[in-house]
Amino acid sequence: MERHVNPEDPDLYALGALDGEEKQAFEAHVRSCPACARALDAARQRVALLGLAAPAATPRPSVKEALMRRVREERIPEALRGHGAPSRQPKRPLGFSWLTPAFGAAAVFFAALAALIWMKDLRDNGRIQELQAQLAVAQSRSLQIANAAAETDKLLGAPGTMRVGLEQQAGWPSGRAAVLYNAKMGMVTCAGWLPAPPSDKSYQLWLVPMQGAPVPLRVFSGGEWNEPVTAHVPPGMAAKAFAVTVEPKGGMPWPTGPKVLVGGVSQGE
Amino acid sequence: MTAPTQRVPDSALVERIMAGEEDALSALYDRYAGMLYAMLVRILKDTSAAEEVLQDLFLQLWRGASRFDASRGSLPAWLLVIGRNRALSRLRRRERREILEDPEEFSLEAVPSAGDLEDEAWRMQLMQRLRSAMATLPPEQKEALELAYFEGMTQTEIAARTGSPLGTVKSRVRAAMQSLKQFFDDGTTRQSGRS
Repeated sequence: MERHVNPEDPDLYALGALDGEEKQAFEAHVRSCPACARALDAARQRVALLGLAAPAATPRPSVKEALMRRVREERIPEALRGHGAPSRQPKRPLGFSWLTPAFGAAAVFFAALAALIWMKDLRDNGRIQELQAQLAVAQSRSLQIANAAAETDKLLGAPGTMRVGLEQQAGWPSGRAAVLYNAKMGMVTCAGWLPAPPSDKSYQLWLVPMQGAPVPLRVFSGGEWNEPVTAHVPPGMAAKAFAVTVEPKGGMPWPTGPKVLVGGVSQGE
Repeated sequence: MTAPTQRVPDSALVERIMAGEEDALSALYDRYAGMLYAMLVRILKDTSAAEEVLQDLFLQLWRGASRFDASRGSLPAWLLVIGRNRALSRLRRRERREILEDPEEFSLEAVPSAGDLEDEAWRMQLMQRLRSAMATLPPEQKEALELAYFEGMTQTEIAARTGSPLGTVKSRVRAAMQSLKQFFDDGTTRQSGRS
């Protein structure tokens, strides 16, 4: 790319660190230079990811509950606007004032009728949405199973694929799993069985490399473990072992909990 | 990259949000709330404030999901940018400082795809590697970068805070970003290599 601005300026601008004349000059240049505008887009992406360097933290469950409550509260006025709420019209004087009480009574009657119809619509719409959601979940699940089967077939047919049995560790409920790993492809498929973890915990599968820290592969909860799942690692990574640990719900960047299943890779594999 | 088998794409969930499905918002919250909350707590140093911003962020997604174009942007990157801007605005209001950028005007399309952040395992690897990369920066570079990112300071403000000459601060921030740019370039290559 031709260097129209200092190569670091897009990053510094995206970071918000540029100020004064440097900032003004950069903004003026980017407005008329598509190449530097693209460089700024890429810089914004990089800078956004710096947020991932923050120490791990988990919001309280009540935050999500409050969010979903607010979402539901917003839906009701929307529905009212779409169905039952009268539109705002400018007041128009009636020529026959004696009709006003009659119209008033009729308006109350029709408003009540509209409200009843609207409530029924809401119930029906809710049921339809529920069924649509169930259908989407079922379709997604079918696709997942088909993908998992295809991935497993791909691994099984590839040269260099090794099988590693993961054995239950003392003190934990019964369970076992097997891993298919192909270092050249950087691909892992795992299938097995474990009872559901506690509600605030997840299982997490790790690759323990010959050198360096364990690499997180997948996070599981509940019955998902019963079906094969696939994960990817940088190709060429030599594995010493695979393990499943119990971690806080959602998983961790490095293992913190006890090992439930462990399987070492035999030398020569 | 081969799609992991147990993941509904962000774009599909956003479409379902546009159709008014609360479950889809719930799924995206489960996917990204932890990542965002960690950043918000780091910026605001106040868990209650971080929770408020987090909730507002997802409410904004619920109301404005139609603005998301999966072909042109990455949802988690957008959430990180908007979340950071909101948190910094709140921080500046608290400190009576000028707001440099209006987060509401930030275009979603200004954040192109940032690797496969939808993939939880990849995201966690990236977090781990990014923390390691930050830890290897010289302390003064790391400090300058953190003051800029997590406290929204300009180079001039960092110079005033640290008592270092402005030229020195500029060199530190530039060197830190150059190191991280190299890190991201390597990471992106690795991610692309899995395609």
